[in-house]
Amino acid sequence: MMARVTPGAFIVPDWHRCKDSKEYFNKIIQKKNRKNFGLLESPVMPPHAAVDTLDYKVFISGKSGVGKTALAARLAGLNIPSVHHETTGIQTTVVYWPVKLRENGRVLFFRLQLWDCGENALRRFDHLLPSCKEQVDAVLFLFSFTDRTSFQDLSNQMTKWTESTDCLVKVVVGTKFDLFMHCDVAERDVRKFQETWRLPVFHSGGEVSDRLGDVAPILNCLAENLWHQDCVRAGAAGRQQQHKTRTLP
Amino acid sequence: MLQDGSTQLLCLTASSGVPLFTRGASKQLPFSVIGSLNGVHMFGGGQGALLSSCETEGGGKVVWKVFHDSVMLIAVSGGGSSGACSGAEMSRLQRLLENVWSCMVLVLGQDELVNLRNIERLKRDLRSCFCLIDQLLEEKHQGVLGNLTHCADSLVPPNPTPLQEALDGFAQAADSEFGCLFVHGRIVVATEKWWRLAPQEVVLLCALVRTLSASGSASCDYPVFLPQGSPTVAHRLLHFQLLPGADVCVLCGPTPSLQKAETELVGRLWSPLIETLRSCLAVGERCLPGSVPLRPDVLALLLINRETRRSVSCVQISSHHPLSDSSLSKSRCWELLELFYIFSISRYFTQDETLCGSPEESTQSSHTEDFLHGFSHQPQQCYLVTEDCKCYGFQTQQHQFFLLMLPSVPTFALRTVATQTLTDIISATAF
Repeated sequence: MMARVTPGAFIVPDWHRCKDSKEYFNKIIQKKNRKNFGLLESPVMPPHAAVDTLDYKVFISGKSGVGKTALAARLAGLNIPSVHHETTGIQTTVVYWPVKLRENGRVLFFRLQLWDCGENALRRFDHLLPSCKEQVDAVLFLFSFTDRTSFQDLSNQMTKWTESTDCLVKVVVGTKFDLFMHCDVAERDVRKFQETWRLPVFHSGGEVSDRLGDVAPILNCLAENLWHQDCVRAGAAGRQQQHKTRTLP
Repeated sequence: MLQDGSTQLLCLTASSGVPLFTRGASKQLPFSVIGSLNGVHMFGGGQGALLSSCETEGGGKVVWKVFHDSVMLIAVSGGGSSGACSGAEMSRLQRLLENVWSCMVLVLGQDELVNLRNIERLKRDLRSCFCLIDQLLEEKHQGVLGNLTHCADSLVPPNPTPLQEALDGFAQAADSEFGCLFVHGRIVVATEKWWRLAPQEVVLLCALVRTLSASGSASCDYPVFLPQGSPTVAHRLLHFQLLPGADVCVLCGPTPSLQKAETELVGRLWSPLIETLRSCLAVGERCLPGSVPLRPDVLALLLINRETRRSVSCVQISSHHPLSDSSLSKSRCWELLELFYIFSISRYFTQDETLCGSPEESTQSSHTEDFLHGFSHQPQQCYLVTEDCKCYGFQTQQHQFFLLMLPSVPTFALRTVATQTLTDIISATAF
């Protein structure tokens, strides 16, 4: 297992609050909301400030009803569906997120494509899971604070994913944290879990008040770990080149 | 029973009457009423009678239909629906039930709905259809008339050839014969085989793509069961959002994977067309390219190609026009266009029946008003003068055309304006 990355070791933490990040974050915001990019588009910086975009595939794993689709919508700044229904098949959502490297002040755009697939559909149609696993870079493991079984199931899920590949960024998110009245998972259990697995654990839920601040911790953590994983890989291969660098059009 | 103009949909198991879901209308019918609606149908069944529809004193209408002896759908409309005649309203409700059932098959597959094993599970699974069903129940379609006309809402691009070529190439590369490009939820181009799907399937797939597109997702791998072509075996609908508002989809078999299609095909085949796609987006809700001149006194139009089962429609409101002192809003124009279509279809013209539905259906739905039967001939043109606007409709072998104009247009000129407008559109777009 890869060593855990200390938050802020590689990228500037809370960079979205700094002044110098503004011109980059402006590219992913339109009329105060997050901008929706089609597959043929990407944030474009002026030629003198061109920025590389790194492309990653992130799978969202978790029991039916924990809020995978809602989390994807939250991270992408889309409308969060108000009523739950099972996602039919695979839905992917693209999130662009600018990040500043600590080491040399270089700015990168992370293009995180979130893969969300309904659990029932996964069971019913065989072709979906292999498609989700194909060239996956990271997995977001979800549990719901209102559903203890979803928390207990985490280790199972984690083992399943660790068997198939070693190079995988893993991040855990507890959803529906706002529904503390129905909380079914104790804080100390979460802490214990965090210590055992040495994985970052976040919570999410409730109204979105500060659009960037709401998602920044999770996106920064993903970006930082993915960057670190790439560096380790590149180091192992003896070259500093990024395997997936995409140059902007 | 219900508020004026609202429609409520009930779904129950046919054998035991267990409610599966209800949609539509803000105020739900009380459980006892739902029970009675089911009961009266069941009672009829016991007496060897099939209850298919009824009308209440207040003008409310109820339509029942049982699908595959397993699921019963009931549509209840509050009546008073702005002047639409009762026969038209009945056929609207019957069509609604057909469409709702098809939605359920599209998402869940026929087997799941016919062999009811676990009702609680089915209730949960059915929630995945709500987006689509709600779209069918939505009163204000704002420019999408496919549910009504059973024709594919289309957008005519300024330059279709490169798009058609790109789509054909894309579908072929994705091992598919069924591909379709949408802009603003309307079909721009489709592969030849796509048009051989049942018209109802085309309309439903359009509705599905609109919901996928509205969800903001970048791509989808969505299992679909074609209600007529393949109700028990799922195909894969791969959907990609090229630009916000421009979507492409293909129906395919086990390959290629979503990952592969997206990374290897989408960028390579569609990037060169990004400007062409943007020019389609710019056509906007007009749905007709700028090269088609429309008279300023035209309020709205609907053109149906009866052979290809495609339609274009648009509403033209020029607020600062000197002639338009009328206070017609855009949504009111769409509503009037719909009503005029229903009016013409139910009284004068025939709606080209699609291949769907059993023969029993077509006899039912062809109660195209006793009014029509009084004629020894088939009317080909009609007009209507109201306070809000003047309307003219006519049909030819190949087209049906419905036009709404400002009241200031002289009535005697309606026919000339209508034929001229149609000629202009056809000569510019070959629609």
